Amino acid sequence: MSYQNWLNYLQAAEKNSMISGRARKVLYKFPDGRQMAEEYNMDTGIVQRRAWKSKSNKIMGESEWEIELGDEPRQLNWSGNKPPGSGEETDSLAGGDFTLRESNTAPLLTKRITKKNIEWRIRNMPYSLDTYSVTADPEKRAIVVRTSNKKYYKVIPVPELDRCGVKPAQESLSVHHQFNTLIITYQKPDILCEMEAQVLLLLKNVDTETDMDDLLKGLMAK
Amino acid sequence: MAETEKIEVRDVTRIERIGAHSHIRGLGLDDVLEARLVSQGMVGQKDARRAAGVVVQMVREGKIAGRCILLAGEPSTGKTAIAVGMAQALGTETPFTSMSGSEIYSLEMSKTEALSQALRKSIGVRIKEETEIIEGEVVEIQIERPASGTGQKVGKVTLKTTEMETNYDLGNKIIECFMKEKIQAGDVITIDKASGKVNKLGRSFTRARDYDATGAQTRFVQCPEGELQKRKEVVHTVTLHEIDVINSRTHGFLALFSGDTGEIKQEVRDQINNKVLEWREEGKAEINPGVLFIDEVHMLDIECFSFLNRALESDMAPVVVMATNRGITRIRGTNYRSPHGIPIDLLDRMIIIRTVPYSEKEVKEILKIRCEEEDCIMHPDALTILTRIATDTSLRYAIQLITTANLVCRRRKATEVNTEDVKKVYSLFLDENRSSKILKEYQDDYMFSEITEEVERDPAAGGGAKRRVEGGGGDAQPMEH
Repeated sequence: MSYQNWLNYLQAAEKNSMISGRARKVLYKFPDGRQMAEEYNMDTGIVQRRAWKSKSNKIMGESEWEIELGDEPRQLNWSGNKPPGSGEETDSLAGGDFTLRESNTAPLLTKRITKKNIEWRIRNMPYSLDTYSVTADPEKRAIVVRTSNKKYYKVIPVPELDRCGVKPAQESLSVHHQFNTLIITYQKPDILCEMEAQVLLLLKNVDTETDMDDLLKGLMAK
Repeated sequence: MAETEKIEVRDVTRIERIGAHSHIRGLGLDDVLEARLVSQGMVGQKDARRAAGVVVQMVREGKIAGRCILLAGEPSTGKTAIAVGMAQALGTETPFTSMSGSEIYSLEMSKTEALSQALRKSIGVRIKEETEIIEGEVVEIQIERPASGTGQKVGKVTLKTTEMETNYDLGNKIIECFMKEKIQAGDVITIDKASGKVNKLGRSFTRARDYDATGAQTRFVQCPEGELQKRKEVVHTVTLHEIDVINSRTHGFLALFSGDTGEIKQEVRDQINNKVLEWREEGKAEINPGVLFIDEVHMLDIECFSFLNRALESDMAPVVVMATNRGITRIRGTNYRSPHGIPIDLLDRMIIIRTVPYSEKEVKEILKIRCEEEDCIMHPDALTILTRIATDTSLRYAIQLITTANLVCRRRKATEVNTEDVKKVYSLFLDENRSSKILKEYQDDYMFSEITEEVERDPAAGGGAKRRVEGGGGDAQPMEH
């Protein structure tokens, strides 16, 4: 039940920070070769996006970013294999230049963090609320979504809880369904909020042009 | 319906052709590396086979790099057969590159480049990689093609597991894969997301009663569980040369069509070596050194030999097996004579395995095996005669006679080759001895016989008889000036 490991891991990383629009972007380069990018909202101090890049396993060229949190920047003619913005072939994709992609009616999972909750939205889910069974599985350290009509199944890992050594609990879960979207809300445990505050304090020492106090104020006023 | 039949790739039963060494299935050794007299297509040559068995063991352990083994012996004493046997004994996992000494003289590539490519083809790398695959049972598949017959195809497939179901849009390339694998509803398949490779695992048990009759090779499997997309660890086996080629294509896709790799820059190779070593440290890759076999090694010239000297010192070098049938002869590209036509400094790094001529009994065994390989039933008397021919002329000639005698025998609608057939083909086809004898007798009737000094200088020009008698002394190999 401690987030010390995670803090140490972040501490060890080489950090770069910049501000673009109303967001502060931080790039971590960890000693083990992995990289993490985070985007904080300057108004609320909440992390909007987070992505990971593992060490390149190819001889030449880089591996791609994997998004842990936040929306994937979607485009028309989205390829499904290559994340958009990786350059080349974005416009030739209409001609069937992809190998395989999920159809655009397939359910789409996104994750978001708010001040008090972790939220997942699964779009393109037309079935009524009683179809779903959403359970917290402490064994798998994940949240499992099942459907009684066997149309959708997903094991959603919760890395935030792993980082502070907490297992997901059923009591903190709540589920809503509206506008073809299934919304799963998980109430953050106190220790997670504490960890996030600690991370922000850590980031305070990272050089940026803007003052971090602004950012912190929003969070401390909670 | 007619449309689907047209595009179907017809599966032709492959006709296995019978090559000179296709009867060899291994080295014919038992567990303690003792050679059995007749086993796995190998006959006799016990010492050489035992030695080759030790080499195979050395390669399997994979610890020692850059060793060199020379198979030396008279013509048709089974040098290439032993090399093929080694390849078979090593199995498909270990890379075994076979080349002939004269292959390096290409106009497109320098000699050393050809050699280093061959060396790198013989080093395998097993790379462990985590990839995303989609594994599920096909519920429905739709492929639409435009009425004109050509153009973009549009495809959709619905896959399911016991828990879920998803629709996918198919790209053009993967549609081809689906059609090639003849995927239909009820099949359980995996798709590698990165490469788009489609693999059919079998048919789902729930669809077992769709048809009254199924082929013997139809496998029934359970419908997969859980999520459709999974992360799986897969192991690729590639050779260093393949990694080189993929990473040296600086000219884009055009190099793909021309097929030839051209010269690969040393920087690229160094970079790849470093990366592979790095992976090995991290436990992501395993190096799997194999064997490079160079037949007719006396055809290499002095430059190649000195290049090999250096190349064998690298810790990424494979075990090199060479074969030669020359005795003391000139090293190509020089005027120096040396044993086997190989410079002494390279010979010093080698261990030499000698093959000895076959005894009559062994020759008979080999001919018997060849008869079986060519589906030819031979009368014991005919076999005795053939053995006699083999000892008098050469084993290769006798093996040629098996094929021809079999044809003659079939002409007279018999099933068993008898002595008459063998005698007939013996008179129809000359062996090299008889041919050169005739040449010597009727030398004057052939063209250009009036140029006398030419004849005197090279009396063996017509046939190989003279050269054979000389054994390994031959200066007969051409030399560039």
